[in-house]
Amino acid sequence: MGDVGHTRVNEITVEDLPALVAGSSLLCSAAGDASFDGYCEIVAELLRNRGSVRLVELDSMPDDALCAAIGVMGGFAPMVELPPSGDEAVLAVRALEDRLGRKLDALVALNAAGPNAVFAVAAAAVLDLPLVNCDGMGRVLPLISQTTYALDGMPIGPLSAVSLAGDVLVLDSGLHRSDLLLRATMQAAGGWMLCAMYPATVSRLRTAAIPHATSRVLEVGRHLTSATERGALLDGLARAVGARVVGSGRIVELGHATRTIGPRHYPAVPTSVVVQEYADTGRMIRLEGQSELLVAVIDGVVAAAVPDVLCLIDRHDLRVVGVETVAVGDHVDVLVVPADARWHSKAGLTLAGPRAFGFPVRHPREEAQR
Amino acid sequence: MSRNRTPEPLSVAELVHFGPLSSARAFAADHLDRQVSRVALVSELDQIRQCEPHAALVLHGSAALGAWAVESALRLAWERNASCVIAPAEIAVTSSTAQLAERLRVPLFVVEDPATHALELSAAVADTEAARARLTARCAVLFGERSTVRDILGVINSEVPGVTAALVADDGYVIAGRSAAGRPDGGHRVRVPVPGPDGRPWAELVAQLAAWSPSWVETVELILRLARAPLAASVGRSWLAIAHQAASERLLLQTLLRGEDVTDPARDAGWRLDGRHVAVVLRVAERSVQAEDSTTPAVIVAWRETFAHLPLVPVEDGWAAWWTDPEAEPEEVAAQVRDFLNPVRVPLELTAGVGVAGEGVNGLRRSVAEAQLASAVASRIGGGAVELFGELGPRAVLACLPVTEIAAAAQVALENLLGAPDAEVLITALAALLDCAGSTGQAAARLGVHRNTVLGRIERIRARGVDLDSPDQRLALHLACYSLLSSRGWRS
Repeated sequence: MGDVGHTRVNEITVEDLPALVAGSSLLCSAAGDASFDGYCEIVAELLRNRGSVRLVELDSMPDDALCAAIGVMGGFAPMVELPPSGDEAVLAVRALEDRLGRKLDALVALNAAGPNAVFAVAAAAVLDLPLVNCDGMGRVLPLISQTTYALDGMPIGPLSAVSLAGDVLVLDSGLHRSDLLLRATMQAAGGWMLCAMYPATVSRLRTAAIPHATSRVLEVGRHLTSATERGALLDGLARAVGARVVGSGRIVELGHATRTIGPRHYPAVPTSVVVQEYADTGRMIRLEGQSELLVAVIDGVVAAAVPDVLCLIDRHDLRVVGVETVAVGDHVDVLVVPADARWHSKAGLTLAGPRAFGFPVRHPREEAQR
Repeated sequence: MSRNRTPEPLSVAELVHFGPLSSARAFAADHLDRQVSRVALVSELDQIRQCEPHAALVLHGSAALGAWAVESALRLAWERNASCVIAPAEIAVTSSTAQLAERLRVPLFVVEDPATHALELSAAVADTEAARARLTARCAVLFGERSTVRDILGVINSEVPGVTAALVADDGYVIAGRSAAGRPDGGHRVRVPVPGPDGRPWAELVAQLAAWSPSWVETVELILRLARAPLAASVGRSWLAIAHQAASERLLLQTLLRGEDVTDPARDAGWRLDGRHVAVVLRVAERSVQAEDSTTPAVIVAWRETFAHLPLVPVEDGWAAWWTDPEAEPEEVAAQVRDFLNPVRVPLELTAGVGVAGEGVNGLRRSVAEAQLASAVASRIGGGAVELFGELGPRAVLACLPVTEIAAAAQVALENLLGAPDAEVLITALAALLDCAGSTGQAAARLGVHRNTVLGRIERIRARGVDLDSPDQRLALHLACYSLLSSRGWRS
């Protein structure tokens, strides 16, 4: 879906930052947003001082150019309490370069969505490296192993991770053990770490990455920041990313204890949002989430599910509503943004489909194929 | 419980009310009439797609992972025409889930231990006849242990699931039970006539059913039939007790009125003899059918419903009661009694006489005697009449006149006068003249005619051989006129 309504962008300037932030919030699947206190101002300052970040396409890069994915793992709350110092990206990339014995030629985003969309731009700015217009998720997913990079067989390591205190960790392990080990370290390090991982050449990334990820976020962001009218916004999002309105209504119920058992390895508690539709039928759209919204069940039927992005847009403010800020009584449109096609493959759904999150249901696409 | 056909499966309502779902929290509980043919323990939502219709779906394992899973199960249950969904209690069922159940009309139950419930449900569903027989047997045992109408109705209302029962009299009066059952509006109903202690139709047991199936109706009807004999027995017992008590109180009151000292037995009977009394005597209206002994319990029961604290004691020609209160006034008592007579629930036209207030036992004796006289006057007037002795004064004496006999004698003695074509006019004029001590002016005013008219009528009376001037004849004439006018037999 990366090239839906795609327009070519060559650089990211300080003026693009608001659109980047707004666009990245839509692809969070309602898991908070990137505009946490002050950080965006720091990045803006950085872009003003260092100039714009070059955004390059995979096609325009030499095959053997070496890239690594930049992304933060951890929670939103720790990031708000302990904001980045600004040196993390330099430390992480230098440590990885030391381990690889070779300089990086460009950076890619782990995922051009949520805060990581901004972290990748900031890292490129501070390191004066070009940012490749692609990512490994096309949205926010909770585990660093849930990437199209991994899906395509790219090794996650060696990787480096840097904490707020300047601790540098270089890790050389498999996909799932890396996730486990980093998570444990991250807890001890203060709740989040910036990582440089999935080192790969451009030729490897051409099959593994989701192209145009950053420009897509910018385009979504421009629709969100310039929207004055609901219909136009929904049309714009439909053209840009194929967003579809699942239903519209009023939020009638919020819950945190609506699921009893399920996988324990996700770093969040279950959340449930119920939207009652305006139509006379009074259909109930139950959105089940775990930081992100994962499944939409309409009157008992799974209507949409992860890895497609489920999000809420306030019908009056035309803003993306996150799980943290949603309130009973809000009037919202429930949108589903289809994930990249490779997420809909059998392996993709196994890695990031509803069953990977403990929902023993089939994704609507699997259901349709029965 | 017919043996010659296969019983229909139990309905969800039956499982709720006397089966394993009785302790479950229920949602969409207005839709319990579906039958349950089998029970399916569902550990994965996909299993529901293979379920046959009319299954009770018990969710556990991954089919019960949360509210969303229960909602998915409800939806699949609806698609498969399942009878109900049973979910474990650790799932918090919120209003949106309840609303979905309601909209899909799929009953949802929440239980502590779904696996145990699945077993119990399977047992109940496998042997519907046994489940119904257990209920019937239980009711029969409880009927035997209860002795009042109210308690017997209570057994039906509390034990039989989804059934509201009442004992309703012919005229729609709810004798016992829940009045909702007797209302004529809609719903499935079972009716069973109940004979009284004398074997004659007395009332009807009416049961309103929340859910309907032929077997269930049969079961409910059987239970109602089982209740008939205990009901008749309880009524017979209570009427016998009333009749017995009435007979002994009647003797006691007779002794009291004779002037003998009955202070101790009267106190034992709960009678109040000290203080200020106003007596009332109820009497059957003269024109109505004569009271039988068997009417006494009915009158007493009706009286107790209104005046629970006042004894009603049979006396000659009626029933006596008295108000004991320093403030008691005959007018107030008369008003209360009038209210009682108005919608009285006995098949009798009753009238009442009220005595003057009196102090102590002697005052009570006098007040009862006065009330008796006043009731005799009231009984001539007809159903619902209440006469106060204090307002009647000496006129009450007239109540003792055997007017029927006197009227019969008068028809012979005054044959000539009564033979006149306008006999009624002449008798009325004669009575008015005698009432007014021979004053033609006053009689004319009383009759509302001119004095000359009265004089003309007097002439016609004289012409028929009646001597108006003889003092020897005047009392006899006055009595004859009064009796003729009071009895209705002679008028054409």
